[in-house]
Formats: sequence, structure tokens, C-alpha cells
Amino acid sequence: MYFFVGKVLPYITVAILLGGITWRVWRWTIGRIKFNITIPPFPSSWPAAVLWIVWQIVSFWNVFKFDRPLWFGAWPMHVALAAIGGGHVLGVYTLGMQFHLLLPWLVTEHQSEAASNFLGTVFGIIFFVALLYLLYRRLAIEKVRVISATSDYLHLLLLLAIVGIGDYMRLVKTASLHYDEARHFMAGLFTFNPHPLPDNFFFFLHFLFVQIMLLIFPFSKLMHPFGILWNRWIINRPYQQPPMGMPGTKITL
Amino acid sequence: MPKKVLSDGTEISQPNRAVDRLMKRLHVREVPDEEKPAMAVRWLDYYRKDRRSLTLAMEGCVKCGVCAEQCHAYLGTKDPNNIPAARADLMRRVYKRYFTVQGRLFGKLVGAVEMTMDVLEKWYSYYYQCSECRRCGHVCPFGIDTCEVTMAGREILWALGFVPELQGAASAMVFERGNQGGMTQAAIVDTHEFLTDEMEEERGFRIEFPVDKPNSDILYVPSSADYLLNAETLKGAAQFFEYVGANWTISSYMLEAGNFGLLTDQRSVQRELVRRLWWSVADLGIKKVVFGECGHGWRAWKMYTETLTDYAVAGPGYTYTKVPLVNIHQEVVALLKAGKLKLDPKNNRLAPVGTYVTLHDPCNYVRADQLGDVFRYVLYNSVPAVREMYPIKEKNFCCGGGSAILYDDPEMYNLRIKFFQKKADQVRASGANHICTPCSICKAQFYPMVKEHNLTTEDGKTIMPVNGLIDFLGAALVFKGHRQI
Amino acid sequence: MAMIELAGKQVEVDEDGFIQDPEIWDKELAEALAPLEEVPTLTEDHWKVVNMIREYYLRTGVAPMIRKLCKDTGFTLKQIYELFPTGPAKGACKIAGLPKPTGCV
Repeated sequence: MYFFVGKVLPYITVAILLGGITWRVWRWTIGRIKFNITIPPFPSSWPAAVLWIVWQIVSFWNVFKFDRPLWFGAWPMHVALAAIGGGHVLGVYTLGMQFHLLLPWLVTEHQSEAASNFLGTVFGIIFFVALLYLLYRRLAIEKVRVISATSDYLHLLLLLAIVGIGDYMRLVKTASLHYDEARHFMAGLFTFNPHPLPDNFFFFLHFLFVQIMLLIFPFSKLMHPFGILWNRWIINRPYQQPPMGMPGTKITL
Repeated sequence: MPKKVLSDGTEISQPNRAVDRLMKRLHVREVPDEEKPAMAVRWLDYYRKDRRSLTLAMEGCVKCGVCAEQCHAYLGTKDPNNIPAARADLMRRVYKRYFTVQGRLFGKLVGAVEMTMDVLEKWYSYYYQCSECRRCGHVCPFGIDTCEVTMAGREILWALGFVPELQGAASAMVFERGNQGGMTQAAIVDTHEFLTDEMEEERGFRIEFPVDKPNSDILYVPSSADYLLNAETLKGAAQFFEYVGANWTISSYMLEAGNFGLLTDQRSVQRELVRRLWWSVADLGIKKVVFGECGHGWRAWKMYTETLTDYAVAGPGYTYTKVPLVNIHQEVVALLKAGKLKLDPKNNRLAPVGTYVTLHDPCNYVRADQLGDVFRYVLYNSVPAVREMYPIKEKNFCCGGGSAILYDDPEMYNLRIKFFQKKADQVRASGANHICTPCSICKAQFYPMVKEHNLTTEDGKTIMPVNGLIDFLGAALVFKGHRQI
Repeated sequence: MAMIELAGKQVEVDEDGFIQDPEIWDKELAEALAPLEEVPTLTEDHWKVVNMIREYYLRTGVAPMIRKLCKDTGFTLKQIYELFPTGPAKGACKIAGLPKPTGCV
């Protein structure tokens, strides 16, 4: 089991993830954008349109404007996800030295590792709490419950499991895994020379659940970060009004 | 039609179905009941490959629920199927079952269902409760335009023979007489003469309506019900064109801006109107087309004309001379801002001093185009006082009649009253005593609904009057040497 | 499509009760249609409106503009609604044997 999850499954996961995303996006490009069905605001140029799309993505502007309670769950959750995702890559790759490497004259190696640990813990907890809040919302608010399918809850539970285990490893010394162990293992995977999984049951579970998530990613609503780009590409386009002024009138502009 | 009972015993309201004779006039052949589900799946397959907007609406939703509180239909009826995400889910569940990996493998888990007659009956009920106002599309964080789902749903139903009588009858008139109201040239000329006489009584001079005049520069395309209900809108436009001295005309071949094809059947009905427009433009030597007060009509012409002027309309070579298509409000504002129109808001025949007008922004004007400020510029300059409702502009709520769901059988009429609830609250809170809405469907919804919801002026008895925007402009225009009121 | 019995004849009407063939309309049929639109009996005023609509329809092919109907018959819109509680477009047109008005009405 450790062998399969640690040495075989990761390659299957990545293949299915990348292949699946490509396949889904390819499906989206079959249909044409037949009609210019734009929605406000009507930017006048492409840069303005792209800026609006980026603003929507980074701030969750529509959620903020039209459903404030959801925004207080969804936005911190995604920010924490981004921070933790980045933290995993940088922290493991640089062994927690990312801040020292970034600002060597300001942050010492020791401070950098402390900061990395601290931020990881904080965002981990924010992530967990925000997910719990979103799950509560889905169960408690009638209008959201009626539109939810079983899979919507399962996605949240899966994320909660991943984050919960991660947080547990952070907070409980005996369960934790140090950066260099993780890096050693990941380096093995990347160089196609897989090392055995670190002897840590929580890491095993964490790693397994993440792979399950990545496996279902292309075949579920988790594809929405791609969906938002493709969707907004259709409806947020520059619009130029035809010139005013009617031909042949006595009173002209 | 009385309520339809599904096989599990639930009752749903549906609009009246068109009879076979009407469907023949629309070139629709009803698919036998037992073949309908399979055929519907084939149509869905066609549309998902045809329109990217539909595919993404099917695959991009995360069920966050932002849209629920933003839909007047859900707010008014509290029917969970009227939550935009759930309404789209009626189609999405079927889509998942047939066109996605997760739906085929784990149908139950992801909420996929088989296509059955019950599903289609539900579509027919709920896709005709949606007014295609696109407020959900506007608020969706992902930018999913749920209106695209409604449209595709209606088109599939139409092709299968689920044709609502109201839209069907109007569309049949498009094929037979060229406009939804079924106006004939004799009726057009007669109505014009009547209105010219009326304006002479009011103003002291005659303003003629040119019909089918060759070598005109401007083609004015009035709105759908102007010839039956909204006399003032036609008069307002005529006064505006007279004021600016335009070489304008109205075409009896292409009479109405309204476009029921957009709402139900883009393949043939909407194309027919696009063809009629370009033919009129070519025949009458038109240089610019100005559309009247019609919300969904403007959306249809602005967004769809380009694509629909295709082989089926223009033939090989696409030889039509395309001319700019604009909206009368935009032209009015351009002239107003240039200081070329003299208006007297204090002496407005339709809005005497003491009138507080509130403006209902028609959905398609503010969410398919940015006309909110344009309307306000005209209105503030034409009437003595304005009292805004909240929210306005692109955040405004639909009147509940959008996409011509103006059914008057008791079941659907009852729903219309509920759809209007949000609007009634908005109007009441504004403290106005006169409603202005520049859209024929909105007007057709407001006329009976102000009575049903008892929206009265200050005296508590008089029902609030409803007018278009150009109505007020026409009445406020100052013609030198002629009467104002 | 439904057949109903009006004035002793089988008449084809649509779902809303508008007669399908305007040619067969006559006075007896109008009197039989009236109770369906909350008009118990057709008075002289009713006939004034119905005849005007009918005459206009035969001349032009559609129902007259509501404004014109008021002006030509001399009634206010309110009076017309008192005469035909279901409204001029629905009630009066049905009794006058016109097809149902289409479009944004």
C-alpha cells in the first residue's frame, strides 16, 4: 500500500490530472462563441476587460457585492489555499528558507523557517475554519442546500480531511514531518527515482487524499478556476458603441 | 392550462400549449411523446457543441448560491426550482448523465438523472417562468449566463413541439405578416392618421408618419405593442424625428423591434426578422436603423444580428450592405448633450407638476447595454421630478414579464403576480406616483400588475399611470410657435 | 383545440376561448360569448364597442389601438373596463369574434 501510494499512484495522478484538464478545456472549445453576449461593465478595450476579469478573480468582487456572508467564507478560504499551495512548493523546495532567499539582508535563516512555520499554521487554521463555515452554510441555508448534490458535500469533506490532517501535523510535534524529509521524498518523485514514503502515517493519509483530490479534479466542479477564465472570456469583452448622429437631419450633432 | 401533474404526483404550472394547426404555421412538427426524451438528448448534444456559452454554463457552476437571492422569480414564488442555479440544474443533471464522465460513472452521487418526459415537462414549466433578465448572469462570480440555459431549453422544447401558445401565435404572425402584433399596412396607416390628428389637437400642427417611403435616411422600428397599447411612445418618436427634421420612415415590412425569435426559436423566427430588416434597409435606401423602446428587441439586434446575418439570411457572398443599428435613446441623449434639443420639463402634458416619476430599467437595456445613465439623462430633462427606486441600472430587478411570459391563463397569471412582487416593493418604497419604463414587455406587465398590486398615487385610489421614456421626451419638446400643453 | 356549443352551434375555439374562424361570427354568437367574459348581457354601449372593433377588424385585419377605440366610441378607458371587465384586448375582442391579439400585450 505504502509502495503503491508513494511510488506508483503519483505518476498516475499527474497523468490523469494533466490529461483530464486538457480534455475538459478541449471540450469547452468545441462550441463557438456564437453571439457577443456581453454583460456589464462594458469595458472599451481588451486591457480594461482583462483587468476586470483579474479583479473579479482576485477579489471575488461579485460575491462580495451580492452575498457578503459567503464572501467571508469563500475569499479567506481561497486566499489560504493559494498561500498554502505556494508555501508547500517554496517551503519544501527551500527547506523553509524562502523568506531568507527573498530578502537575505532582512531575514535570517532561522527567522525564515519560523515565519514559514507560523504562516503555514495560521493559513492552515484559516483554511480549516473557512471550510467548516462553508460546509455549515451548505447544510444550514435552505436555498443552498436544495441546489447541492451529494458530491458537493464530499468535495468539502475531502478538503477538510486534507487540511485537517495537515493542521494536525503542524500542531502536534509527534505527527509532524520536517521539510527535508518531504523534500527528499518529492525529489525522488520528480527525478523518476522514487524513494519510499516517510514513515509517518499522517503524511501517508495527507498525501493519499491530495492525490484523490487531484484525480477527481478534472471531472468535477473543482475545475472552476479554469471555468471562470473561459466563462468570463465570453461575457467580459470590449464593447464599442456605434457612432451617434443621424444622417440627413436638419439638426445635427 | 390547468396544472400539469408529473408521474411522482407533483403539480407544476405550465403555459398553454400551441395546437397542431398553429405549430404547422411555425414549421414545427411535434415529435411523438415516446421519442421526445431521446430526441431532446440529441438536441442537447447539438447545442452543447454549437454554443460555448451553454457548455460552460453546464460545466462551470459550483453551486455557491449567490444567484438565489438575486432572482425575482425565486423571491416572488420561493419555489426552489426558480433559483437560477437550480433552474439550470434541470438541464445540468441530464447533461451530466449523458455527456460527462462523472455523471456516467457515479450518476447518483453527482445528481445526474435520465432524460424522461417528466424532466421535459419540468423544463416546459420552469424555462417559461424564467424571464431571461440575466440578473443571475450579472451577479454570478464565474460569469455563467443562466439565460443561455433557458434559451437552449426553450429551443429544444420548441423543436420537440412544446410550443407555448402566446409565443407561438406571435411568431406565426412574424412569418405571415412580418411582425408579432400582426399589423397590416392598412392598420398601420390608419393608426398613424389617428395619431397625427391627435397630435394636431395637442400641438396645433400636423406631424406625419412616413410609411415605406423610398430613399429615406433613417428607418425607425417601433416597439411591438406601440400600435395597440402605447400610443404615446409612437407619438413621442414622431415628435422627436419631426423636431430634428429627419428624413425618416417606418417600414410595414419590418415594423417591430420586438423579436420573439430570440426568446424561443433563434433558428428560424429570429432569422426571419433579420432577413426582413436587411431587405427593408436595401429597399428603402436606409443609412441608419433606429430602434424604438423594446428591451429584448434591442438585445436581439445588438448582440445577434451579426451572427444571424449568415448564409440562410444573406445567401452566398453575404452581400447585404450593413448599416449601423442604434437605439433611439442613445440618439436622443447625444443630441441633448450637444444642447440641440429644447425641452421644457415643467410643461409636460404627461407629467404635470407634482408628478414624481420613477424609472424601471428594462433588463435587456441595462444588462445587455449600458443605457441606465442614458435613460436618466433623458428622464431628468423631460419631467418635473424623479424619484429613484433601489436598486437601479444594471442591478435592477426584472418586472417579471421579461421574455414575454405574459400569459393570462389563471395559473400562469398568478405566477406573474408573484414575479412582480419585488418590483411592487421597489416602486412603493420609491414614493413615486408615475412609472416610466422604456420597454413594451415591461409596460404590458406593468399595466395589469399595478392594479393587481394596488400601486396607487398619493390619494390611495388612482392607479399609477405607466408610460415609456420617449413619451415624456415627446411631450416635453418645445416646438417654436406651437402649444406645449 | 376545443369545440364548444355556442348559440346552438358547435364552434371551434382556442385554449382561451377565442373563436378560431372569424367568418362564422354573428350577433347570436357574440351574445353567447359575452357571459364567458363576465358580461351578462350585451347592452347598447357594449354593442357600440363590439361593432367598432368588428368593423375595424374587417377593414384592417387587426384590433384597433385602445386609444382609438376610446375616442371613436366616446368612452374613457375606465368605462371600457367597466363594460368589459376582462379588458378591451381580451374581453371585447373575444366577443367581437377576433383572434387573440398577439405580441407584447
